[in-house]
Amino acid sequence: MMTQVQINEKLNGVFRDIFDVPELVVGDTTTANDVEGWDSLAHVDLIVAVESAFNVRFTTKEVKALANVGDFIRLIERRVK
Amino acid sequence: MLKPDRSELDYFKLVKQARRLTPGGRRLKLALLGDVSTQHLVPLLRALFASNGVDAEIYEAGFDTIELEALDPASGLYAFLPDVVVILQSIGKLKSTFYEFPGERGNFVVTKATQIEEVWKAIRARTGAPIVQSTFVLPYERPFGNYGFAIADTIHGAASELNREISVRARNNPGVLVNDVDYLAAWVGRSHFIDEKLWSLSKSLCALGFLPDVAQNIVDIALASQGRAVKCVVLDLDNTLWGGVVGDDGIDGIELGDRDETGAFRALQLFVRELGRRGILLAVCSKNTDSVARKVFQEHPGMVLREEHIAAFVANWEDKATNIRRIRDKLNIGFDTMVFLDDNPFERNLVRQLLPEVIVPELPEDPQLYVRAITELNLFEAASHSALDLQRGALYKEQEEREAESLRFGSLDEYLKSLETNARVARFEPRDLPRIAQLIQRSNQFNLTTRRHSEAECEAMLNDEANYFPFSITVRDRFGDFGLINVVILRRQGGMLEVDTFIMSCRVLQRGVEQLAMNKIFEQARRVGCTRVLGRYIPTAKNEMVRDFYERFGFGRIDAPEADGALFGLDVVEYVPREIFIREVSTDK
Repeated sequence: MMTQVQINEKLNGVFRDIFDVPELVVGDTTTANDVEGWDSLAHVDLIVAVESAFNVRFTTKEVKALANVGDFIRLIERRVK
Repeated sequence: MLKPDRSELDYFKLVKQARRLTPGGRRLKLALLGDVSTQHLVPLLRALFASNGVDAEIYEAGFDTIELEALDPASGLYAFLPDVVVILQSIGKLKSTFYEFPGERGNFVVTKATQIEEVWKAIRARTGAPIVQSTFVLPYERPFGNYGFAIADTIHGAASELNREISVRARNNPGVLVNDVDYLAAWVGRSHFIDEKLWSLSKSLCALGFLPDVAQNIVDIALASQGRAVKCVVLDLDNTLWGGVVGDDGIDGIELGDRDETGAFRALQLFVRELGRRGILLAVCSKNTDSVARKVFQEHPGMVLREEHIAAFVANWEDKATNIRRIRDKLNIGFDTMVFLDDNPFERNLVRQLLPEVIVPELPEDPQLYVRAITELNLFEAASHSALDLQRGALYKEQEEREAESLRFGSLDEYLKSLETNARVARFEPRDLPRIAQLIQRSNQFNLTTRRHSEAECEAMLNDEANYFPFSITVRDRFGDFGLINVVILRRQGGMLEVDTFIMSCRVLQRGVEQLAMNKIFEQARRVGCTRVLGRYIPTAKNEMVRDFYERFGFGRIDAPEADGALFGLDVVEYVPREIFIREVSTDK
């Protein structure tokens, strides 16, 4: 079982990796507008990388509804718990 | 030629690599047209091209605009002046067209195939660039279950027939090469390859994890279309072509034929023989006593390969890098066109270090997996195939006989006369175009300008009788047939005749063919009233041998700083026709 902190840390790791910014920090309220390079292309990369990092699968509808990092975290929580 | 091993084909790794590329290398302009999104593919292509020393500039057409781009002469595609045009089509889009097809279902395949072919024709009419057309990944829907094979008009049947149509029509359309995406999908498993979520989110051709395989396939085909080709496979013997060590175990003790319990060595030999049939030269490089190694080829009943299949046989106790150098000198090919197969990691690493251009695939521990490992690297991609390829191995055998003969003669002239060489010189003819285009794509050494004209461009020159005088020379002697081995393209520039292209196969060096060709160039100049012939040498990494080609014929260097390479000129009245010992004939036989 992962704690919220662990999920948060791991997710930040994925973001840093995808956007290639080692000091990047994302949290609940971070949206695509806040992160340089977070376009629809990177969004697809993110989903695939998150699924693989947490070993989960999201439905198409779920990933289409993602508006910010908080949504991402809650989606992961639902899957890993 | 660099070939990543398959573990390098990681999507995220390649995307990172693409961000860190430093510009440089040969430029290649590649246009991407698709009814899928192509953005995810672009960084992968750039990274994979870069690891082959190619700086790829990529034009992405708008999503699902294949027909628009192809049919509109003012489209971005044509303004881009591509070297290669890649067309990617998805089963996702095909499914919806199929289900909504207004006409008779029975006509669907022909209608769709014709549409695809029309796109090719439109593109080929406006650019000489080769087209790389994808196949459709066969869908999983089976409304009839297994019984679907008995039903003509299901989506599965239609997609599979359409793939067949694409391959048949591609053969009839010069310059169209097939990118068999369905093969890639089938190899990894279509259930993994097809990704419904990514199709819905971003119209992705497949799961992200397999896009690198698609990109690598495109790179392989594009580079083959630009002339990259493996020309020779160098084979180790002990524990590669057979099990055991013949020097220790004896000819009856090695694992081969009846003693090859797993069939692994026979499988490799059969595969290698197929490569030989395709025109790839086979060479042996083995640490063995020559007579012991040859005896296996001559006498062992389990051998698939025989001495006649081997263009260069080197068995001794020297190091393998030295011996591969020897093989290269004998066959007159570049190191980067050679693949070295050896079970021994020590030998592989030695060759990698001393001859970094030679392609040295890792071989798995289990010989049963040799053919699979070699196939997975797709080393033998081709962009053309001609009848001459089939006889290439035999040609090198004939060469050995000629060399033996030359020892009997005192003077070179006497020897050349004794060869009874016949040559047919002819303006380009449609039936020769595939071979001509192939020579243009492949020749690197005896190639003055390395201009890779496509088959379609050659055809256009053939038809432009006022400005172009393109000819080829086909040669045979009393030992055998060399086939079409010389291509010259002359272009009229007012009162001058410029040699746009001069290519010769290195197999016919020093027997007067280049002299014959030069005599013909000046005859042509005289015939069309040109007073001066211009020649150009554009240096590349491989054509050093012809650096002073024009000077040897008495041409003078012309100072032209803006020109491509070095420019030379010679007045027609000053040219002294060369003496040659070749008889001109009007037919090949």
